[in-house]
Amino acid sequence: MTATTTTCVPVPEPVAPRRRTHIAGTVGGLIIGFYFVLLLFGSRLAPFRATELAGSSLASPGGAYRLGTNLLGQDILSQLILGARASLLVALIAGVGTVLLGGIVGVVAGWFPGWFDAVLMRVTDLVLVVPKLPLLLLVGALTGGSVLGLSVVISLLFWPNAARILRSQVLSLRTRTHVRAATGFGAGTWHQLRRHILPDLALLSVAEFIPAAGRAVGLQAGLAFLGVGDPTVPSWGGMIRDAVNFSGLFITPAWKWWLAPPVIALVALIVGITLLGAAAERRLSPRLARHTR
Amino acid sequence: MNQVLHDRPRLADPPEARQLRPLAPYLRTVGLYALTLWALVTLVFFLPRFMPGDPLRALEDADSGQYIYDAAERERVAAYYGLDKPLVSQYGSYLSDLRKGEFGWSISQNQPVATLMKKRLPWTLLLTGSALALSSTISFFAGVTAAWHRGRFADRSLIVVLSATRAVPEYAMASALLILFAVTYPVFPQAGAQRPFATYGSPLEGIADVAFHLFLPLTALTLGLAANKFLIVRNTVISTLGEDYMVLARAKGLSRRLLKYRHSGRNALLPFITALGIQAGFAVGGSLFVETIFNYPGIGTLVERAVFARDYPLLQGCFILLAVVVLIANLIVELTYTKLDPRVRRR
Repeated sequence: MTATTTTCVPVPEPVAPRRRTHIAGTVGGLIIGFYFVLLLFGSRLAPFRATELAGSSLASPGGAYRLGTNLLGQDILSQLILGARASLLVALIAGVGTVLLGGIVGVVAGWFPGWFDAVLMRVTDLVLVVPKLPLLLLVGALTGGSVLGLSVVISLLFWPNAARILRSQVLSLRTRTHVRAATGFGAGTWHQLRRHILPDLALLSVAEFIPAAGRAVGLQAGLAFLGVGDPTVPSWGGMIRDAVNFSGLFITPAWKWWLAPPVIALVALIVGITLLGAAAERRLSPRLARHTR
Repeated sequence: MNQVLHDRPRLADPPEARQLRPLAPYLRTVGLYALTLWALVTLVFFLPRFMPGDPLRALEDADSGQYIYDAAERERVAAYYGLDKPLVSQYGSYLSDLRKGEFGWSISQNQPVATLMKKRLPWTLLLTGSALALSSTISFFAGVTAAWHRGRFADRSLIVVLSATRAVPEYAMASALLILFAVTYPVFPQAGAQRPFATYGSPLEGIADVAFHLFLPLTALTLGLAANKFLIVRNTVISTLGEDYMVLARAKGLSRRLLKYRHSGRNALLPFITALGIQAGFAVGGSLFVETIFNYPGIGTLVERAVFARDYPLLQGCFILLAVVVLIANLIVELTYTKLDPRVRRR
């Protein structure tokens, strides 16, 4: 490449396209990895059981209670570690459920145009304007709000976003030449979907999964905060609720080790998911990233 | 729901269809929203009835307040609550009660649900309405400014700050504000919407007190709402900056303000308004958290108490009320949508 031959103009060294390192994505991945360690090994890492009355009431941090105790004398650090479970499980189950439902609706609507598509899209519009949090509260209060139950209801309420995006991708894929060629060769619907449509949707689905998971984390904690959820299952939202419900919280310094840790844990997880999502979106759906770069 | 089509000749319309056209899309939109409301109301009715369990089972316990001791007593209680009637007629009387504005009786507070909600709805409307207005103003001007200075410091810092506030849930934001500005530096009140037992010398004093109490809850809610619309405005404005009409406007020597707001900002209005409709739902949801943290006397704290007491009639009433508020907000947005941009046509 260097101008060793007798060319008149020195050919400039072609600049290798600089690969953008996604600091945001790396940080997000590290945060989420840390939480997954808590999910997998939490029961071994936590010094106490979540509901165990481990010590005196409102002990300040130090000694056996690294982060102090709450009003009932339960160990804050243990609750914090074990609370990761509820948040991450909801993120996984509701995230997968949301994308799966949205994917089914989006692919079916995109692949079968006409009245079927029209009806599905009207249903999507209807679900989109439903006030979601109040409905979640209502259903959660009725069903008891187990992690699995909440995840199912969250999936049932939040699929329209994914459905719209995946549908438009299917619509655009239908017009591509390779799909048309396959149709010309007599490929059936199932073959088309499996070989040509679904593989192309995989990356986009991941880009939809991450924000859906983040939203589910916020919702689960929010519902636990408002009192929907099993009180014996440790969760950060429930910890925040207990702390805020203690009327003397701000008179004592207890909020520093009782209220702040779950809030920080929660915000860190959501920020981690958001960062990972931003990086994934840039990588996976460049159409959206063009303007934000 | 809306299809942006560039003007195309509509040759096939017969004259009478042309006359009907201006009204038909509005009726269709209103119809769709009415359908949504009906679907939600129906869901709320059938949900507890298809749950496993029996509403009178708890009363078969000798310790309950209204002990059912034999089958005849059970039938009497069931008849009193209308539980012996077929589901269809229960549904009918439920709908006709709702139409009359009767939401049933709150079990935990022993008052009509409608009375409880009527007292608290204005506070929630004040909080969510002003949060939506404030966040819209902030995000619109911030969005246009960021787009104008795209890639530079102002743009980047606005993106970072607003994306960060979006990642923080409302209750976390609210508790952080509470800790900072009501506990550590007690500038603002910790709870409530007014000074307790206050008598005001002048209406102005009353307004000042309400605004003073509103400040922290409003900030918490606004910060969460602003980021989304900010990004929408910014991206839309950036995409208009390269358009021919912008070059022409610049060549005409228009002032920067006109360029920014009339020529490029105005184009961002449509997606912005759409986001506003969707955010009405988020604002109502967020107000549940913010009200609970600041003990603000709106629907949110009522909902929280209803959840705590598992007071289903109250919870159901609040849900229907909030659904009506959100749906009306969305309906207004959608109806103004067509007015704002002549390019929008209905299929």
